[in-house]
Amino acid sequence: MADPLMSLRDLRVEFDTRHGRVTALSGISLDVMPGETLGIVGESGCGKSITALAMMGLVPNPPGHVTGGQILFQGEDITRAKPRRLRRLRGREIAMIFQEPMTSLNPVFTVGDQIAEAILLHQDVSRAQAEKQVVDLLATVGIPEPARRAKAYPHELSGGMRQRVMIAMAISCRPKLLIADEPTTALDVTVQAQIFDLMRDIQREFGVAIVLITHDMGAIAEMTDRVAVMYAGRIIEQGTSDQILDNPLHPYTRGLIGCIPVLGREAGDAASLPPLAEIPGIVPPLHLLGDGCAFAERCALADDYCRAVRPPLEEKGHPVACHHAGQGVPA
Amino acid sequence: MNDAPLMSVRGLTVDFPLGRGGLFGKPQMLRAVRGVDFDLAPGRTLGLVGESGSGKTTTAMAAIRLAPASGGQVMFDGADLMALTPGQMRQHRRHLQVIFQDPYSSLNPRDRVGAIVREPLDLMDVGDPAGRAVRVEELFTLVGLRRDQMALFPHQFSGGQRQRISIARALATNPRLIVCDEPVSALDVAIQAQILNLLRRLQGEFGLSYLFISHDLGVVQFICDDIAVMYLGEIVEMADRPTLFSRPRHPYTAVLLEAAPSLARRKSQGYRRQGIVKGDPPSPLNLPPGCAFASRCPQAQDRCRAEKPALRDTGAGKVACHFPL
Ligand SMILES: Nc1ncnc2c1ncn2[C@@H]1O[C@H](COP(=O)(O)OP(=O)(O)OP(=O)(O)O)[C@@H](O)[C@H]1O
Ligand SMILES: Nc1ncnc2c1ncn2[C@@H]1O[C@H](COP(=O)(O)OP(=O)(O)O)[C@@H](O)[C@H]1O
Ligand code: SF4
Ligand code: SF4
Ligand SMILES: [Mg+2]
Ligand SMILES: [Mg+2]
Repeated sequence: MADPLMSLRDLRVEFDTRHGRVTALSGISLDVMPGETLGIVGESGCGKSITALAMMGLVPNPPGHVTGGQILFQGEDITRAKPRRLRRLRGREIAMIFQEPMTSLNPVFTVGDQIAEAILLHQDVSRAQAEKQVVDLLATVGIPEPARRAKAYPHELSGGMRQRVMIAMAISCRPKLLIADEPTTALDVTVQAQIFDLMRDIQREFGVAIVLITHDMGAIAEMTDRVAVMYAGRIIEQGTSDQILDNPLHPYTRGLIGCIPVLGREAGDAASLPPLAEIPGIVPPLHLLGDGCAFAERCALADDYCRAVRPPLEEKGHPVACHHAGQGVPA
Repeated sequence: MNDAPLMSVRGLTVDFPLGRGGLFGKPQMLRAVRGVDFDLAPGRTLGLVGESGSGKTTTAMAAIRLAPASGGQVMFDGADLMALTPGQMRQHRRHLQVIFQDPYSSLNPRDRVGAIVREPLDLMDVGDPAGRAVRVEELFTLVGLRRDQMALFPHQFSGGQRQRISIARALATNPRLIVCDEPVSALDVAIQAQILNLLRRLQGEFGLSYLFISHDLGVVQFICDDIAVMYLGEIVEMADRPTLFSRPRHPYTAVLLEAAPSLARRKSQGYRRQGIVKGDPPSPLNLPPGCAFASRCPQAQDRCRAEKPALRDTGAGKVACHFPL
């Protein structure tokens, strides 16, 4: 097997908060292989975005601290990299797109100027060459009349077009890794479909590996090869997307799948659909995490052992962190 | 729809002024809702779906007279809402409530949540003070909150709990109709399921009617009995749930269904979307003469660009398309 492009090894991230030091990520280990799409899924606050920021060497400091483990990009530990080296990696090798493209674009410059700026920063080309590249990139990401749109300000574009601009900027330097943090959450399903198609096309064309962060199991099914499910700062289950969707072993993963109102033409026929499966309660705040399983207070299978001893991530067909993995009602 | 409707909307039209076209120019108008008709039966849920800007919120707000309509008629419970005086409208207000998407901004951060839930009772003079206090306790239990939480402030609750507070507030006056404007869109899926189950349970218990706005077709399929699909301020298709989901007739409905995520579409099986819709809707200020969907429609023909399709009965529902699927 090829070497991983990005590896997190036993990563630990802590934050200083008014409740003292809390652990936002604990023992996170995962690999992103070249050209694949890895999904990271979980409820809000589970640590998905911090994981993504860690891969970019961007854990906000203060209040955040990487207090253990390694972040290896092509074998190089970026927790030890100099700021200059990090900036270079971020421009050329690793790129990121976010949920709300409006906040990542500068409202007072045209989108063309902003993409050109990114190109000039990282490539040894003339202004005119950069501007030519901008138009090509906008065409690549499917923006009609690219030469005209390059002169538009962000607010003059729709949300979907702004996300396309962000993708154009992200791929301008042909990165090996694209991290997409809930890139379509703010968009209509029709536009989400367009953006997903675009991401797939770009992956096929440029071979870029994608880390897709989402809370949507449908997006996981359609877009990813492998998935890590996160809960309260840990990976609690990991496998191929088919393993996770067809044979989830962790009660939380089963809950996440069971609680979605699945769209299906058959389901439309029933006079009234049965109630959705519920995961009771909410994700516990980080400062209240104890020694046992963090999911115990929401879990139908929890017993005293679960509440006392944290289950390790173990191979049980695929890696899962649960003392009673695979028991109870399947998803 | 067999029951006599609770709400019956005909020709609803809403315009927004958009400043002036030049110093002496006529003020420009944006027509956000263009002649919408629908009926909502007691105890049923009508879903409004469509892309952002299609006029879902404006339609619902105008229908319950929280936003001014520039034309059309709304019959509610035998009354012609548009013709009522403000005083008469107040009498109907208690039967028409709203739940919004954002459980953060729709609750006053300075009020205790018990007071927030009691407010509509105070405003509409329902019962005596002791009776109101009892009612508020009852409402807290009903939506799955504890009575001892009544003295807390909104920021002390999670998003899902805040949405429960909004629901308790909406239920306070025993309304007959609740407009739910994207009530679960801001919530995590696990919490979304809790709230959707709660809304369905309350509907069964109190015979509520919902006008339910959502862009998530999975949610719509779960909760709605009838669905109206909106495009650029108009209803382009309307049918009951089994019909709409098993046999969409309007190309736009088909495209929405195709775009919706589903667990069955797997990358591992080489899934690629078939009829993906291109581009964005045209500007509502610059509508084409024919079908508003023609610029994005895979089925569009010359006639579509020349002649506007009317909303016609199909036997099983209604569709506005010259060449329905
Ligand atoms: N107060 C307003 N002034 C001017 N235009 C408005 C106003 N409110 C809405 N509009 C316009 O009316 C149209 C319909 O908007 P509306 O908010 O009803 O859409 P929606 O379907 O609810 O969209 P979303 O899914 O984004 O909530 C849009 O073109 C919008 O820009
Ligand atoms: N700047 C910060 N200061 C303190 N805590 C933070 C900060 N950023 C994130 N956290 C905490 O870290 C945890 C994980 O956050 P995040 O990765 O953003 O979650 P997700 O993306 O899964 O919603 C959360 O509990 C969050 O409150
Ligand atoms: S370890 Fe116990 S509490 Fe945790 S998920 Fe498994 S069964 Fe539930
Ligand atoms: S009328 Fe023509 S353009 Fe409009 S939806 Fe039907 S086929 Fe498409
Ligand atoms: Mg996040
Ligand atoms: Mg709206």
